[in-house]
Amino acid sequence: MLNDNRRSRALLYAGIVAFALFAIVPYYWVIRTSFLTNIAAISPDTGFIPAFGKLTLESYTQIWDRFAFVTFFRNSIIVSVAATIISLFFAIPGAYAFARLDFPGRKALFYTAVFTIMFPWIVLTIPVYEVFYFLDMVNTLVGVIVALSIFVLPQNIWLLQGFFRQGIPENIEEAALIDGHNELTAFLRIVLPLSLPAVAAAALFAFLTAWNNFLWVFVLTTDEEVRTATVAIYYILGSDVLREWNVLMASLVLLVAPPVIFYGLSRRYVGEGLGGTPG
Amino acid sequence: MARLELDDVTKVFDTSAETIIAVEELNLDIKDGEFIVVVGPSGCGKSTTLRMIAGLETVTDGEIRLGGERINEKSPKDRDIAMVFQSYALYPHKTVRQNMAYGLHLSTDLDDEEIDRRVQQAAEMMGIEDLLEKKPSSLSGGQQQRVATGRAIVREPSVFLFDEPLSNLDAKLRKHMRTELARIHSEVGITTVYVTHDQEEAMTMADRIVILDQGTLQQIGAPKQVYHEPVNRFVANFIGSPSMNFVDVELVRNADGSGRLVGDDFDYEVSSRLLQPLDETVSDVEFGIRPENVRIDPDAPTEKSLETTVDVVEIVGSDNFIYLELAGKEFRVRAPSEVEPAEGEPVRITFDEDDIHLFDSASGEALVHGYPSTSVTTTAERSDTTAD
Repeated sequence: MLNDNRRSRALLYAGIVAFALFAIVPYYWVIRTSFLTNIAAISPDTGFIPAFGKLTLESYTQIWDRFAFVTFFRNSIIVSVAATIISLFFAIPGAYAFARLDFPGRKALFYTAVFTIMFPWIVLTIPVYEVFYFLDMVNTLVGVIVALSIFVLPQNIWLLQGFFRQGIPENIEEAALIDGHNELTAFLRIVLPLSLPAVAAAALFAFLTAWNNFLWVFVLTTDEEVRTATVAIYYILGSDVLREWNVLMASLVLLVAPPVIFYGLSRRYVGEGLGGTPG
Repeated sequence: MARLELDDVTKVFDTSAETIIAVEELNLDIKDGEFIVVVGPSGCGKSTTLRMIAGLETVTDGEIRLGGERINEKSPKDRDIAMVFQSYALYPHKTVRQNMAYGLHLSTDLDDEEIDRRVQQAAEMMGIEDLLEKKPSSLSGGQQQRVATGRAIVREPSVFLFDEPLSNLDAKLRKHMRTELARIHSEVGITTVYVTHDQEEAMTMADRIVILDQGTLQQIGAPKQVYHEPVNRFVANFIGSPSMNFVDVELVRNADGSGRLVGDDFDYEVSSRLLQPLDETVSDVEFGIRPENVRIDPDAPTEKSLETTVDVVEIVGSDNFIYLELAGKEFRVRAPSEVEPAEGEPVRITFDEDDIHLFDSASGEALVHGYPSTSVTTTAERSDTTAD
């Protein structure tokens, strides 16, 4: 109905373009500023689209020299990847159990698991810190990994159980049982391969949540060696970088780059995984 | 020997909400090579029974034996069965060939050559040779159904299990597949248990029909037997389309042994031959007659006819289904296509005593069937008619 005539279509596209610009402009600004010099970044003469000659990699080299960004990045990657893998390891069988099996307490357990998504994490900072202090995991990467795995788990379960409930053909495990599998191999060899789109989507969201996480890294770590990039930016902002927008923007670009790349790589699967059907 | 026996098989579902007796003390003795159709309305326990045979549900009580050997504890893959599901349950990420070969690769020691040969043979039998390299998502419902059946054939099991395989197909395709499956059964000769809610499928395909209602066995018998000699009101109502007409009547006896069946707008003379098997005390009965045995005949004698009014006339093409009103209730007649009364027209209907069925009003058990039984079945076929 919307695409009926050219006029309504033109209006539709105009609206989409307007919203797109609205969304993209901040990102563009960040990238633009990151390629300028200190002075050019705060100078009003530089304009919206700077002259090509003015562009420089100065801010990036500064980051490299002044801050241990390699460490921060490495920590971010380790923590995000590990949290993604660990939480998926528990979420996949858990979601499958919730979706396909019936056991006492299933509903209660499921809603408890999912309720934690909605719970404001900031309320839990003190008790969580106490627990991790007790376990001697404060200020360690392992502690951060464990914390993030736990907090990323509910959203994985929720996403995956929706897929398992609807996206797997009915009776297919039973056909597999008759063909010669037992329940475990039926799950591993038949159901899991069919679930790859959903698992990819869950992995993506888990990775993003873990990568972007500020609160738990901030609460559970103090030393630079175990700091991740998100918290590092916070410290960079508060340090002598103050007002050096080009350096700050450059660090932002670096921070955002891995998730963007990761999303680009898994894009093909995400659509399938979220919708349950290809495309 | 693929003789399948169910011995007092019971299935109880005990959930936190309620306890459901899905199947109650079912006894079946299925001979090698027989095509058994299990029918009944939704929730009667037919699918549960099939799944217990397959090993997909545990048996609460009783024993299932295949070839004389108890299989209650065996997992589905060790039972030498193959199953076709209503939803086909094909592996979406595998080709048709891989779907059909998968079970053989997984559970048998056959070499690839032999597996390929079997797959090819089954594919030719099902008419799907040119679909072998396709994936299920690119196939139509009917083609998927054939692949699912082919996958079962390839296993060369002792028993085929079909769980309403044709329910998702359109009417024409369903009828076509019915004859296909019957043909395959005569070619392959493997014991088959086929579950459906469609009594027409049951009648056309079965060697014997098993009729269930609410978990209990109503009747087992050959199609003709179940049609002509239903053991109770439920079976009489379930088999046959349009379904049998039932009228509550009172039996008024004459001195010479004959009598009349009397009800609202109902007065029909019956002979002593019909009433002879009945107990003296019986008076309230339920009268049953199939629509195809009723005729519209304005010249029929009054003591052998009923006066009714036409309600609706359905024109099917080969016949007309005429819905009459008799004492405020529906009465169905199947008439040849030339007979087409107007709506609201009063008509006189008649039928032969041979086609009458009388049922006990309270228990629903059949008391008398008008049809001289020797002309319906041989004594051998009659040996296992009823449930007890």
